[in-house]
Amino acid sequence: MKLAADRVLGIALIGLAAFAAIFALKLQIPFSYEPVGPKAFPLGLSILLAALSLVLVLRPGPSGSWPNKALSLKLLAVLGVLLIYALLFTRLGFLITTCFTVLALSRLFDAPWLKALLAAVLMTAGSFLLFTQGLDIVLPWGYWMPVLG
Amino acid sequence: MFDFLIQGFGVALTPLNLGLAFLGALLGTLFGALPGIGPINGIAILMPLAYTLGLPAESALILLAGVYTGAEYGGRMSSILLNVPGDAGAVMTTLDGHPLAKKGLAGPALGLSAVSSFVGATIAIIGLTLFAPLLAEVAVMFGPAEFFALMVFAFASMSVMMGKDPIKTAIGAVLGVMVAMVGVDSGTGVLRYTFGMAELYDGIDFVVMIIGLFAISEILLMLEHANRSDADEGMPPLGRVMVSVKELLFCKWAMLRSALIGFIVGVLPGTGASVAGAVAYTTEKRLSDKDNTFGTGDMRGLAAPEAANNAAAAGSFVPMLTLGIPGSGTTAVLLGALMLYNITPGPMMFTERPEVAGGLIASLYIGNIVLLALNLPLAGVFARVLTIPRWVLVPGIAILAFVGVYQLHSDLTAIYLMLIIGIVGYLLRKLGFSLAPVILGYVLGGLMEDNLRRALSISGGDLGILWQSGISLGLWIAAALLLTLPWLLPRLLSGKATDKA
Repeated sequence: MKLAADRVLGIALIGLAAFAAIFALKLQIPFSYEPVGPKAFPLGLSILLAALSLVLVLRPGPSGSWPNKALSLKLLAVLGVLLIYALLFTRLGFLITTCFTVLALSRLFDAPWLKALLAAVLMTAGSFLLFTQGLDIVLPWGYWMPVLG
Repeated sequence: MFDFLIQGFGVALTPLNLGLAFLGALLGTLFGALPGIGPINGIAILMPLAYTLGLPAESALILLAGVYTGAEYGGRMSSILLNVPGDAGAVMTTLDGHPLAKKGLAGPALGLSAVSSFVGATIAIIGLTLFAPLLAEVAVMFGPAEFFALMVFAFASMSVMMGKDPIKTAIGAVLGVMVAMVGVDSGTGVLRYTFGMAELYDGIDFVVMIIGLFAISEILLMLEHANRSDADEGMPPLGRVMVSVKELLFCKWAMLRSALIGFIVGVLPGTGASVAGAVAYTTEKRLSDKDNTFGTGDMRGLAAPEAANNAAAAGSFVPMLTLGIPGSGTTAVLLGALMLYNITPGPMMFTERPEVAGGLIASLYIGNIVLLALNLPLAGVFARVLTIPRWVLVPGIAILAFVGVYQLHSDLTAIYLMLIIGIVGYLLRKLGFSLAPVILGYVLGGLMEDNLRRALSISGGDLGILWQSGISLGLWIAAALLLTLPWLLPRLLSGKATDKA
């Protein structure tokens, strides 16, 4: 069999369907007033998903174009930046993390250093004012704030 | 019979709601014009903010519906000027819109598309006003079995009409329904697919789901587009700004026909603006393309899809408001927004919450006029939005996504979940999936299971109840026909052809 993106996807989805089905079968139901219960619907979905995925495995479409190595690295870098943003969001607070995230994302999208720095400062300040003053959203200040003052 | 509309105008004409309709139209046009941010993304990003503002349900809906219709207007900008459709609904607009711009008629093309959009939307909103209350009266007779059959029909029509690959559309919908299974089962209190995480007991939050699926995956896709060399051929000059009356009259039949087609396609559950645009364009080409000018900058070829996609946008409110079944991906998102307010749209909404149903319809009338007034003179200003570089756009989306999700529960788990869903969304899009079925499945999944279980509780487990009534039987047959016809018809036809030969 030829390796095609749809085949890999189809096999992964059949795995997902099996997992969902086993999970549904293992559900312990303490009491039930109705004939169907919480198992049947997820089970039916798993069977449907497995059947549809089987069609994909047997008759895969064209694989499309996938990013080359350089672009994949960039994609991972963007994801990494977003993950670090999430990890530090409450620890260091909105202002610092947002500033660095905007800087990093701008650079990844080919902005020159000066423009990226300008975007980082302006967008952080602008969004901070919009959220706190305009929309009354409480943003995290970070845990270091009380220590400093 | 039209009490709801009178009451609706009372609601929509309050200063707050009038302002929100205006704001929604403006933001929607901007979002629609921004490359890569279509109506769903615009609403996904704005919804959590509208929710924090503490707006009443009807006001929030007026704002978001304004964004929706506005984005359908804005989507044409990049189609016409750059040959890059701003969203799926504007794909057909590129066919004649961009050649017109190349001929130096970008300004009139933008004006014509604004007027066509206005005509299309107006006809569809009138249709919505007349048709929705009637359908609501029929829908009152729907029991759980009928609703279950209706949802099966909606998924069937979506699989056939939407996207290139029916199998992938169906898989997307099933995946969406499966996501809806996560959380406490309302019937028995059993925890399903929560893996011991307390954050998942209430299910995967709607806002997390759509922001992850659309906004985060869009950031990743934009990175790919930024690294492709074939784009960016530069913007053609606008030329004269106004479209002439003569040009408008030349297109009047194309507009009217396409508006009707768009409305009908929009009303069908599960199909949206992209299908409407394609059907209207091909119909118009067949009917009036005598000199083979379609595709080379024929004004009618621009007017047809523009009238149709805006008509479909308004038409897709019909099933959403009367049956609680969204007609498109975007109305599925609006439906989810209403559910955040504990309002379940359905036949009772016109009698129980007429201020929401009527207010929304009235605001569509107002928003449509606002959009025409904004778009005719300001086309040049909106067009400049297209030149916003990605290195500003992407961090902006990221900030709005993070804060929008964070402020839900001041909780980081939701943000991690959003990132994971974003990666899945990106992979699905790369694999040729359309995301609208996923979101439709996610929104309808819970309802579908509830209705199935309620129906079978009534009958004591007898499956026969599912097709006992005339309505549900009809819906099952319609669904079966929809699923088999595209496969069966060519075979029957080619069978006849070989008989002859």
